[in-house]
Amino acid sequence: MKTTMNESPTLTLNAETHSSKEETPSSQPNHPARKTTIRQAFSTLLADMERSPGFYVWVSFLIAVIFLAGYSLLMSLIYSMEIFEFSLKIPWEMMVSNYIFLVGSSVGLCLVVSLGSVFGLKRYELIGKRGLFLALISIILGLSSIGLHLGHPERGAIYNALTPNLFSAMWYMSTLYPPYIACIAVWYWLLARRDLARTAAESEGLRAKIYNILALEGLKAYAYERMPLQRWESKLNRTIPLQKLGLSLDAENADLSWARVLGTLALISGLIAYTIEGSLFAHTEARPFWYGPLYPIDFFLGAGFCGFSWLMALGILTHKLKREQFSEAYRTLLSEMAEILALLLSAGVLFTAYKMGHGLFEPLKVKTVMLFLNGPFSLNFWIFEIAIGLVLPIPILIYSARKRKTAGIATASIMVLAGYFVKKYDFVVASQVYPVIKEGLPSYFPAIMEIILIGGIIATFLLVYTLGARFLPLKEEGSHRGPVI
Amino acid sequence: MSRKKSEKKPINKIGRRRFLKVLAGVPVYAALGPVGIASGETRRYGKLVDTLRCIGCKRCMSACKRWNKLHVEREELLTDRNTDLSGNNFVVVNLRADRKNRAQRTYVHWTCQHCAKPACVGACPVTAITKLSRGPVVINESKCIGCRYCYQSCPYKVPRFDFEKRVSRKCTLCYDRIPLLDYMKPACVAACPVGALHYGLKEDIILEAKKRVERRKGPAYILGLEEAGGTDILTILPAKPENMGLVVAPKKVVNQDLDKIRITASGFMGASVLAGLMYGYGHLNKTDGSEQDQDKKGHEDDHE
Repeated sequence: MKTTMNESPTLTLNAETHSSKEETPSSQPNHPARKTTIRQAFSTLLADMERSPGFYVWVSFLIAVIFLAGYSLLMSLIYSMEIFEFSLKIPWEMMVSNYIFLVGSSVGLCLVVSLGSVFGLKRYELIGKRGLFLALISIILGLSSIGLHLGHPERGAIYNALTPNLFSAMWYMSTLYPPYIACIAVWYWLLARRDLARTAAESEGLRAKIYNILALEGLKAYAYERMPLQRWESKLNRTIPLQKLGLSLDAENADLSWARVLGTLALISGLIAYTIEGSLFAHTEARPFWYGPLYPIDFFLGAGFCGFSWLMALGILTHKLKREQFSEAYRTLLSEMAEILALLLSAGVLFTAYKMGHGLFEPLKVKTVMLFLNGPFSLNFWIFEIAIGLVLPIPILIYSARKRKTAGIATASIMVLAGYFVKKYDFVVASQVYPVIKEGLPSYFPAIMEIILIGGIIATFLLVYTLGARFLPLKEEGSHRGPVI
Repeated sequence: MSRKKSEKKPINKIGRRRFLKVLAGVPVYAALGPVGIASGETRRYGKLVDTLRCIGCKRCMSACKRWNKLHVEREELLTDRNTDLSGNNFVVVNLRADRKNRAQRTYVHWTCQHCAKPACVGACPVTAITKLSRGPVVINESKCIGCRYCYQSCPYKVPRFDFEKRVSRKCTLCYDRIPLLDYMKPACVAACPVGALHYGLKEDIILEAKKRVERRKGPAYILGLEEAGGTDILTILPAKPENMGLVVAPKKVVNQDLDKIRITASGFMGASVLAGLMYGYGHLNKTDGSEQDQDKKGHEDDHE
């Protein structure tokens, strides 16, 4: 246990994990770990709240929204799942669109991070940790969004394995996401492990224990105490190259070359899964607007929008709220990312123009296309999808990238995200209108209970991110011992 | 020849090996249940719906509800109000008018069309939907995960979600009725008082439908001969389905597997182009990492 304590004075402080606990008079660098009483923890919490009320108000707000979503979920279990539907003939609504949005975000984030870890662009390694953490929570919440939409999610896991249907896009999709999640999780852990171990070395008591467990750092000391490990270790190192596998018991010496392998696996599985998710819609010939080879491609273009937007929006906002300085390298990277996003958005504009123009000349699609151009979805389409989501962010991004203004980049990114969220909703709902509902419905606004539930899922996403940004190593900084990989 | 004859075993004789083979097959049959046994049959059955004879009494609806133990809502059986298929309504009878000739009004008995090559079977991710060789397309409700992808892929939008059982449900063509007395027929056919519904071998009902159409003086249309690649339910309509306000399916197999492969391949090609672009971008920009590379090298030297 004490092996980590000896190293602590030589280590630099990690700003991400800098909390009030280190400043309390009781903590001293070489003091043996002491158990904190509940009273002490409570007084620390109160002091913390007084110092930064904004954080606690924000967290309380998110928890309140999650409780509201829990209420709607409970009602759906007690009464019927029907409370989530605004029309019985449109079974896929906001839960499905939110699923596509969150999963697309995850795959997009994985794409952006892989530029650094897999494709060898060193400057992108800065955003690795934040990107992967976001990718992990967005895919998990995305899958929970669709899980709540399923009638029997528990059967999904069982029969997906027992009786697969190799001609169903949905089967491939649900089979590829679990390995993708595993790859993302281990990839993030590999990148963050060293920082976790350092945080553990800097803190004490319960906090140090938790970080040690997260970094698997305490394992060595524990194993040395309880087991004749030293004798085994030399043998083990001879037979299995543990360090080469990145599985070293010691976080500081761990070789991270496995991050690249995992990154490649995650990228491949994620891209295939999300492309097949586009195919899931594109296969249904009975829905003319979805049908065709357009959407598999459109999906990962959208994933690109989301990946860049989430990273820029949340990275900049977190820096601003925590009053941290942007490093020069990070600022340059943000400008570059903003320019790439602008490029992707212009491709998106062309793609949308092609999609709609093509649909106008297809007799089966024209009615659905007219819903967008001049129908109940026109407000969503022209204002959110086109103006907010695609066209307006382009000049803002280019201008802010040139002037290196982070506020502009963050605003444009949030606009893109909002536009893309609405776009996915329209994509899912509008295609289901014809030919089942011949006269159309007056409004396609989702049911209030569904809005509450999706609000809860988004709130969970933000809450987990907020806590992660406070307690986990996400900051864009190069390791002082050279680049991570 | 004589040797071949001696090799050929008499079919009726049950030898020791044959007995053991049958004995080994028993647990397999038991595990597969009625579905597996039914799939051994080769004769396909179908249902003919003659809307020209239908009087709109809705006895087929109530018989269906009785056999499948569905909830009965009073108004949907008694009035001429339009009802829709649902998880609790496998068959509907609605009064429909010809758009081009308003005077021509007919009751249309509408249910799952039991396609010859069903799109829902290829869409279900957990193989909960099966096309039995006898004809019916059946959802295994204890396996259905309730994703509603079958509804999306069905050209007629038939499988509906039951919010109580949380699974998709639809007409099963009463595949579970035992062959006893009149029970060979589906419940709706057995209940029809005017012979508007007819159940039999597929080829027989096609002949029957053509005969009935020939006998009729006015125009008639047989729905199901070509729609969605041919269906096991044939419906004789006084006008084209689009004029009768029915959902129109394309006259070919919907959701072909070849189509799926083509579409998915286009996505894969796009994804690989994207990965290639990213690789190229990384390759072109590699120079900027040279400084850091040197740092890393230095660090590794230190470490050694």
